[in-house]
This record gives sequence, structure tokens and C-alpha cells, in this order.
Amino acid sequence: MPSDQTILQFRGVTVRYGRRDALRDVSFAIPCGESTAILGPNGAGKSTLLRAVLGWQPIAAGEILVGDAHAHHARPRLAYVPQRHAVDWDFPITVRGVVEQGRYPSLGLFRRRGPADRALVQAALEELGIADLAARQIRMLSGGQQQRVFLARAVAQGGDIFLLDEPFAGLDLFGTEELTHILANWKAQGRTVVAAVHDLALARSGFGQGVLLDTGLVAAGPIAEVLSEANVDRAYRQGRCVHGGAAGEVRP
Amino acid sequence: MSLHDLLVAPFAYEFMRRGLLAAALLGVSGGLLGCVLVLRRLALMGDALSHSLLPGIAAAWLLFGTSTTALFFGGLVAGLLTALGSALLSRLTRVKEDAAFGSLFIVFFGAGVALISKLPTRISLADFLFGNVLGVGPDGLLLAAVVCAVTVAAFVIFFRSILLETFDPVFHRATGGRGGLVHMAFLTLTVLNLVAAMQTMGVVLSLGLFLLPAVSAYLWCDRFRSMLVLSVVLAVAGSWVGILLSFHAGLASGAAVVLCLGAVFLASVLLSPKYGALAALRRGHRPRRFT
Repeated sequence: MPSDQTILQFRGVTVRYGRRDALRDVSFAIPCGESTAILGPNGAGKSTLLRAVLGWQPIAAGEILVGDAHAHHARPRLAYVPQRHAVDWDFPITVRGVVEQGRYPSLGLFRRRGPADRALVQAALEELGIADLAARQIRMLSGGQQQRVFLARAVAQGGDIFLLDEPFAGLDLFGTEELTHILANWKAQGRTVVAAVHDLALARSGFGQGVLLDTGLVAAGPIAEVLSEANVDRAYRQGRCVHGGAAGEVRP
Repeated sequence: MSLHDLLVAPFAYEFMRRGLLAAALLGVSGGLLGCVLVLRRLALMGDALSHSLLPGIAAAWLLFGTSTTALFFGGLVAGLLTALGSALLSRLTRVKEDAAFGSLFIVFFGAGVALISKLPTRISLADFLFGNVLGVGPDGLLLAAVVCAVTVAAFVIFFRSILLETFDPVFHRATGGRGGLVHMAFLTLTVLNLVAAMQTMGVVLSLGLFLLPAVSAYLWCDRFRSMLVLSVVLAVAGSWVGILLSFHAGLASGAAVVLCLGAVFLASVLLSPKYGALAALRRGHRPRRFT
């Protein structure tokens, strides 16, 4: 149920790696309960933006608001799904073990898992349809099931804002359809989804809102407007043409 | 020789009681650390680290003689310089961490060999290279107890951080974890354990006490916690049997422990029903996947 209410707001945010700007003076607002694709060419700041929200990348200027709180006070509302390829699938851990990790941030170092935590983990397993696989080692899963384990971990975190870093990377056709379906379900439940997306066609079909970056902000708003010919041209080609058309030259 | 002679009689000697106790303590902490080394693919780095202790130990020997404290701090400084130095190099230059580590440790090892050739006596130094359970004095036992306590405490207190940092460092950092800190603390713990183990195991072989039980447990377990427990059990059992073997057969204790643990590793690699080589051959070479 999309609403007009803003849930995530960037106000003049700049992030630097050393002397290089990774995000420059970026301002936009993301509406509550919508699915938003973060778009842009490689190195445009898509992952940096997610890291800045999570408070893992310090910001040099500006502020990020979640609801009306500063992002670092709102961490319990944020659930994160990293890129998949980093994980060792031979790790001695079961499906349930991975999903339980979603509870670690709120448990801290010492607090024992209570019945409430167990219920959240079980609910997450059931929601993603992997409850019957809970005792399996994670190598013994199909690619789509592996993806759902990490989505379930994010659900178990108990947040209402989901940040996904390139969730479609490396998925086959079936996996892509499955993930699109899950994200649509989340949206229907009023969850806010913010995902870094590489594929413009996928963004057009699967997301309602878009934020187009090229270090600075190119456009933000409804996906169809954001991905207009002119905006895409600005972000990805900067007026250049690979076929040597109007400009007639390919600058580095 | 009766069973009594084989298993109980050696304990009549004070030095054997001390040696066995030290080995058991180091088995506990080494078994824990080894799991993280194996799962983070740091096995070879641990090997390099163990060799890099040599110049510190040799220098301490030259300067202060054979005091346990001096040798401990000598090894500690050399190990930390290698570990933290290569982490720093890889961050500041284009050299990657493995190359930085490889370069630093071999220079350190070379310096160690050079220093050793300057030592007046080489006989007791052999103990530090290959381990001598007879050499564990009250100091050495105390050192093993302290290092074991620190390691176990770290694993109990930071269990969740260690699991997350080992399994999924990106998620760990994204949920507010201090990844770099955990990594540095882990390297420091590894150096501490290597230094503490050098008296029973020797500098060159001490890594075996960490690595072999962990990699054996890895072949049997599907849960991190059970891997830790099995690794500790194997490390303690293996080092006890090894030290008894070294007592009866007159072998260097480090070598005897490594050979015992090596037998466990070999058995695991062959026989593990899920992940062993024989099971893989029976399936026709296919790695195990989902069904």
C-alpha cells in the first residue's frame, strides 16, 4: 500500500573515499511501502548509498533520515541482504543457523535467544517457504533456495525497510521471476524495499520508484519518469554515443 | 608392557604431568582457533605466521638467555610485526595481503635462521624448533593456562561476532559489527597461541595442533558449534596420545603430536560419510549437492 509518507530521506548527502566523491550532494525522498530501485552505471554510488544508510560508510556532508530519526538511530528498522557470491557454501551451518543470524544484531553479544526470537526465525522460514529445509546444510540447496535463505535472514531481523545489494546478480530466469514475485509480496505487505539494480528492464518491470545516480543525483521519482531517454542518456552516456553518431567521438 | 605402563606410569613424572596438562590446555585453544583458520582459508597464513616467530625467539635467546618470558615476548613481537605489518602493507600499497605476508614472513624466517647460526649452543634450540615436552617448566604451564583462558573467553564472549565475521563479513559490518577489529584480535590470538605452543610443539610444527583437528572436524560437522567442540576434543586427545608416544618412543613431542593428529585427518578425509574421499568415489566423483 503505497502512501505519500516519506520513510527514507537524503538531504545533501556527500560520501568520499579518500579525495574522490562517491556520492555528491544527493537529495531525494523514498515513499513508505514502495519498492525503489537504485540505478546508475558502475561506480555511480549504488552500493555506497546503501552503506551510507546502514551507517557503515561515514558521510562527509548532509544527513540521512529514516522516518524522522537519524539513520544510525533507526538501525533496528533496517534489514540488509548483501550480494550473494561472497559466502562460502561449504560453511558448516544449516538453513536455520543462517536465518538465526538475523536476530544477532538485536541480541547483542550476550542475551540468550528467547521464544520471541525463535518465533521470528520460524515465521521467516515459513514465509520464504524453506521451513522444511531448516536442518539442511546450505550447500544442499538450489540457487533459488539459497537466495531465499538470505531473504529470510533479513525478514528475521524484524525491520520494515529492506536494503538489497544487487539481489538479481547471478540469478537465472526462474530465480529472477521468483525474486520479483517475493519483492512484490513484500510491497503488498507494506514493507519498503530499496534495491541496487543493474538491469534497467528489470527495474522498469519490478519497481515502482527509481533513484538514478551518477555520483550526483540524476533523477528520482516514479520509475518510468526516472528512466526517461534523456535521463538514461545523461547517467550512462553523458552525451557520448558508442556508434560514433552525433558526437562522433568516444571520450574516455 | 601393560596398559598401566603405557598410559598411567608416565604420569609418575612431574615433567610429564606438566607437559600433558600444557598440551591439553593448548589443544583446547588451538582446536577453537583452528576452526576459524580453516573456515576463513587462513591455513597457509597461519603456517607463515608460525615461521615468522623465529627471529624474535632467536633474538630474545641471544639477549636474555632461555627465560620463558623473554622467548614469549620475542616471539610475540616478531609474530605481531608480521601479521599487522602485512595487513598495513596491503592497505597502503597495491601489494595484496597474501604476497605481503609471504614476503614479510620469509624475510623474518631468514633473519631467524641467520641469528640461530650465531647462537653459541644449538642443542636446546632444537627443542624450540621441534618441541620438547620435557622442557615445559612451571612458567610454560602458566603461559599455556593464561593463553588458553584468554582464547576460550574470547570465543565465549564474542561467539556471535566470530561466527558472523567468519561466515559473512559483509553482513557483519552492515549490522554494526567491527569486522577489522575482530580480524586483528584474531591474528593476535593466533600469535599468542603459536608462541605458547612452541615449547610442546616447536615453532615449525605448532600449527599442526591448530589446523589438523579443525580440518578433521570440518569433514564431519554441519554446524559451527559442533565443529568447534569436535575440533577441541580431537586436539586434546591427539596431543595427549602424541605426547605419550613421544615419551615411549623417544620422539620429538611436536612431531609425535602432529603424526597422531595427521592419522585422524587421514581417517577423516577417507572415511567421512558425507564429505570423505571414499564416499565421493562411491558417488562417482560428483561433489555433494542438493537433491
